[in-house]
Amino acid sequence: MYRLIKTLNRTALIKAIIAALAVIIIVFIGSRNLQHFDAALIAYLFGTVFAVFGVAYRYSVWVQRPPTRLYWRRSWQFLLSKDFAQYAFHSTKLFFRNIMLQRHIYPRGRMRWWGHFMLATGCLIAFAVTIPLTFGWVHFTLEAGSDTTYTANFFGFPVSQFELGSPIAFATFHALVWCSVLVTIGAVIMLKRRLTHGGMIATQTFEGDWLPLILLIAISITGLGISYDYTFLQGRTHQFMSVTHAITVILFLIWMPFGKFFHIFQRLAQVGANIYKVEGTRRGLAKCPHTQQDFASQLHVNDLKDVTKDLGFDFTLEDGRSHLDYSPEGKRSALAKAHFQARKDAGHFFG
Amino acid sequence: MPNTKYDQQMEFFVDMQRCIGCHACEMACAECETNGQESMIHIHYVDRAVTTQTTVQVCMHCEDPACANVCPADAISKDDFGVVHTANTARCIGCSNCVLACPFGVPQKNEAAELMMKCNMCYDRTSAGKKPMCATVCPTQALFYGTREEIQKMRPNSTPVNKFFFGMQEVNTKVNIMMPKGSTHLKVH
Amino acid sequence: MAKLPTSVENIIDKHGPHKNFTPVDGYKGTHEPDALVKTHCCFCGMQCGIQLKVKENKVVGFEPWMEFPFNEGRLCPKGVQRYLQNNHPDRILSPLQRVEGKGFEPIGWDAAMDRTVNEIKRIQRDYGNDAFGMLSGVSLTNEKSYMVGKFARVALKTANLDYNGRLCMVSAGAGNKKAFGLDRISNNWSDLKHAEVIIIAGTNISETFPTLTHYIWQARDNGAKLIVVDPRVTPIARTADLHLPIKPGTDSALFGMILKILADNDWLDHDFIDNHTSGFEEALDAVKDYDLDWAQETTGINKDLILQAATLWGKASTSFLLHARGIEHHTKGVDNVVSCINIVLATGRIGRPYCGYGTITGQGNGQGGREHGHKCDQLPGNRDITNPEHRKYIADVWGIDEKDMPGKGLSAYELIEAIHRGEIKGLITICFNPLVSLPNNNFVREALEKLEYYVAIDFFLNETARHADVIMAGSLHEEEEGTVTTAEGRVVKINAAVTPPDNARRDGDIIMELAHRLGAGDKFNFENSEAIFNELRVASKGGTADYYGITYEKIVNNMGIFWPCPSLDHPGTPRLWEDKKFRTPDGKAHFNAAPFRPSSEVVDKEYPVVLTTGRVVSQYLSGTQTRRIGKLVDQYPEPLLEIHPKLAYQYGIKERELVKVITRRGEALFPAQLVETIREDTVFIPYHWGGVHSANQLTIGTLDPVSKIPEFKVCACKLDPTGKLAPHPSESNAYQSN
Repeated sequence: MYRLIKTLNRTALIKAIIAALAVIIIVFIGSRNLQHFDAALIAYLFGTVFAVFGVAYRYSVWVQRPPTRLYWRRSWQFLLSKDFAQYAFHSTKLFFRNIMLQRHIYPRGRMRWWGHFMLATGCLIAFAVTIPLTFGWVHFTLEAGSDTTYTANFFGFPVSQFELGSPIAFATFHALVWCSVLVTIGAVIMLKRRLTHGGMIATQTFEGDWLPLILLIAISITGLGISYDYTFLQGRTHQFMSVTHAITVILFLIWMPFGKFFHIFQRLAQVGANIYKVEGTRRGLAKCPHTQQDFASQLHVNDLKDVTKDLGFDFTLEDGRSHLDYSPEGKRSALAKAHFQARKDAGHFFG
Repeated sequence: MPNTKYDQQMEFFVDMQRCIGCHACEMACAECETNGQESMIHIHYVDRAVTTQTTVQVCMHCEDPACANVCPADAISKDDFGVVHTANTARCIGCSNCVLACPFGVPQKNEAAELMMKCNMCYDRTSAGKKPMCATVCPTQALFYGTREEIQKMRPNSTPVNKFFFGMQEVNTKVNIMMPKGSTHLKVH
Repeated sequence: MAKLPTSVENIIDKHGPHKNFTPVDGYKGTHEPDALVKTHCCFCGMQCGIQLKVKENKVVGFEPWMEFPFNEGRLCPKGVQRYLQNNHPDRILSPLQRVEGKGFEPIGWDAAMDRTVNEIKRIQRDYGNDAFGMLSGVSLTNEKSYMVGKFARVALKTANLDYNGRLCMVSAGAGNKKAFGLDRISNNWSDLKHAEVIIIAGTNISETFPTLTHYIWQARDNGAKLIVVDPRVTPIARTADLHLPIKPGTDSALFGMILKILADNDWLDHDFIDNHTSGFEEALDAVKDYDLDWAQETTGINKDLILQAATLWGKASTSFLLHARGIEHHTKGVDNVVSCINIVLATGRIGRPYCGYGTITGQGNGQGGREHGHKCDQLPGNRDITNPEHRKYIADVWGIDEKDMPGKGLSAYELIEAIHRGEIKGLITICFNPLVSLPNNNFVREALEKLEYYVAIDFFLNETARHADVIMAGSLHEEEEGTVTTAEGRVVKINAAVTPPDNARRDGDIIMELAHRLGAGDKFNFENSEAIFNELRVASKGGTADYYGITYEKIVNNMGIFWPCPSLDHPGTPRLWEDKKFRTPDGKAHFNAAPFRPSSEVVDKEYPVVLTTGRVVSQYLSGTQTRRIGKLVDQYPEPLLEIHPKLAYQYGIKERELVKVITRRGEALFPAQLVETIREDTVFIPYHWGGVHSANQLTIGTLDPVSKIPEFKVCACKLDPTGKLAPHPSESNAYQSN
């Protein structure tokens, strides 16, 4: 155990503890000292706190790697520069395009995008609904003197009212049902691809690719089971449904920092990479000595020279230039020319 | 699920002086089911104004891949067979670090998909015990996939080399380049 | 008939060429096909083995066929992409009829057949049987080639049948018949592997026969010296031991000089010359005045290189000489061919292991097609249509009176000239696109516009068929069973993978129905392709190209059989002449005198630059098939004018500047590509495109007197730079032939 703790990354550990504590604190604040906390959800809360701890830990370790640190630093540097307004707008746009809509998937297949979009949207809405409920931030009360008017309270403040039986009530109380349906359809589309697509079949793994989808389907189906139970079975199987659902969700939460779901948090870096590219292009492009064409930003080339050095690579050439000054095509041509020369010097092209 | 028929006796050998620039490898690469009609192999003229020399470049599958090292998203991994896989689609953020850092100029960015893609030695085929598409169709066998014994028998005056120098940096690879007999390495710069 | 029915843009919009790409995730079922059908590529004489993936009666991809011995899975880019012809949006799915002002509208088969037969009968009644011509092509299988030949002579009863092989290897065929009495490469490709010296003359193997390169490279691994004769440094010439950058049109001077050097140094096989050849003295006499200075002056090749080449060839103990269109597409194509054969015979290196000679047949079935079918002067089994015995034999096989068999007809280009003169009024074409592939195609277009009736059988609407009155929806390569004969003389099996879609029909069925309606039905009662082949076997029996001993079963069991194969127990003949029994009347191989003479159009003050034409690796012939496959189009999107920087400098031409190339026959604009890999006095344009981008607007329609091949490879031009840069290649849309 001691050895395990010793191998932990101290910075990350501290950050993860802070993040977990922060969650607990805002749970207390949001639920008015646990007044509105639903004790039935305690297992979910523990799961969530663990997930926050784990995600924060891993994120922190991740950001410490030289290439990631570079992007992290550069992203904040450019975002908080004099061009803040422009980059903030750009980032927001990218956030919607890439994170909310996942438009970058579309060019790789329409069905692929539909599958992922439904799955991701279902998950995100479900998070948006369940996290405030679990944390006790949101609770519903019956309006005094009425037995049909509900009030939704956020952090203890009433924010809206609706009539029981109204469409808005139906939509609100069934929000998770819609999410489950979206996630299930999306996951089935993704699963079908994994069953029929030769390339995916060759490279997928059970724990990396199938388990996440199976887990999402399990969460959705058991969640739908709870609704089914109280709508059609008068709660006769409530115990079973809620326990199985809780198990799947908590598995999901605990696994989040380790498995495929971590990419949800990594994806944010795509925004940073985009800003880096825009700012880099603005500062000037690097021209390949072989092709005589611009191929990347000079900033990127220079940063990579540093990053590769940090990682133990040294592509500096004898004349002081660097192999990294060449574009990919230039690098390939350099190799081909060196090979041609070696063959020529040997006197035979064939052998 | 990963197929276990990957044959570790089989190796990849490249000799770009045999290349005639026909692009069969490029067309065939797109048939590899892992890359969805995108071609991962690079084939182009070295300097068309003066020569018809072409070069052909597959991923060299480095022992310590620069691409994986510089990836900020941990999207590139090397498996137990030494195959360096293309970016994990869920993780890749399309930053192009790998594109610029690879000493062989191999990874490419699919701009629309904001995704890096690269040769994974036709994993759908090699993991099923078949040869990669490019080396199968290559009409000149500038790209050859087979055993070390086979290539030594076929090309007795050449030596496969998998050590490269770029300035001071030594890079060792899984894929070999055929060099004049007795060569130990190829110094690029 | 007449001009196009509507604007060319409208026709392109509806019938293409459009670029076809495989969907991102492949065609449906590509991962789990219903079947893998072993067959061959539809392009070029190599006939590489390939397996087509079939799903729900559609070809959805390919899988390399590792066991087929010639290519063991290897393919060129065209082979890899060939499957995109299936599932193509341009596919003609029903017979079409020209509608003035509108274009082409679908009609029923009955209407198409009725109209065609009525027009044939009307034209033949009014102008004579020979006024209806037929042009065919050797992408057709042996079965279809045979049937076309029989159809033209027995059902259509016209002498005027010829084929696109006339633009391909007829010079080689004629030269080989003169020298050996038989028209086939002497050895199979595996004899290349241990040849000490290989000469390849006028053949850009790296782009036109990429899969043959492996055999050349293997030979070099084994120590062979490679000598390449070509005006350009082609990819195969780049690393060659010797590259002889010859001035187009001077090949016979080079090979004559080499013959002289061989004789001067006594690098001759006297035993072979004395016992197995005739005509050596005459051949030598024709070159007796040659010397190296003259040769250098004439061919433009440094005399040291010529001497080195001759020395390598002279001192070798095994060798192989290969040539293709580069020396054959000349008004002296046959002379060039026999001048090559002369140096082979002088050294006696033929009919032995690793000693060979041959032409590399260009088209898919260029070899088999020219033996059994549609050549204007020939009958099945490579028989002569003017030879009374041959006529009698075939007339008996066909069950007709020899007197009813038409005689020798006009060759392809002459047939177009006859149309232009108004002597031929009706035309049927299959598998031929003369408007792109014939020289001087402005003249060809004028001719087409004079036809009273033109019917085309094809699966895509090619540029020539845009002028047709009726188009019959024919079949793709993978839709009909048959055999083809590869460039090494190996008869291989084409297997049907799918049936024709919608209302399209197999070519064989179309021809048979036409024959029935023309009243020759009893001669065309074939149940299937094998039945046609069995008749072909009998028809070829006793001819030089004897297929009698070849059966479908034998082909499949042996991965192909090399002809001649005269009896059922005969294993076939992978290597000819081991018995030194040549098929000439005297049983000897013949030297032929080939004194040098200039090309039909030489450069002068007004037209000072040599223009030569050729191919690129991503396109095939007139491009009807390959200009519809997206990736092949994008690999080389438009024809470029290859020009040496020094010549470009004289005219102030810059990279990608549009240059007007002018000859006495036409003019066209091409973007310049400045490369040091071409002679300084020569420019090169590839010919696969039609319309305004067509190189054949410029080429000359003069013919070799013997083989009747046009002189594609040399004419005189002048260059007029426009000062404008060409738009980006992707914007040229050259593939559409607008």
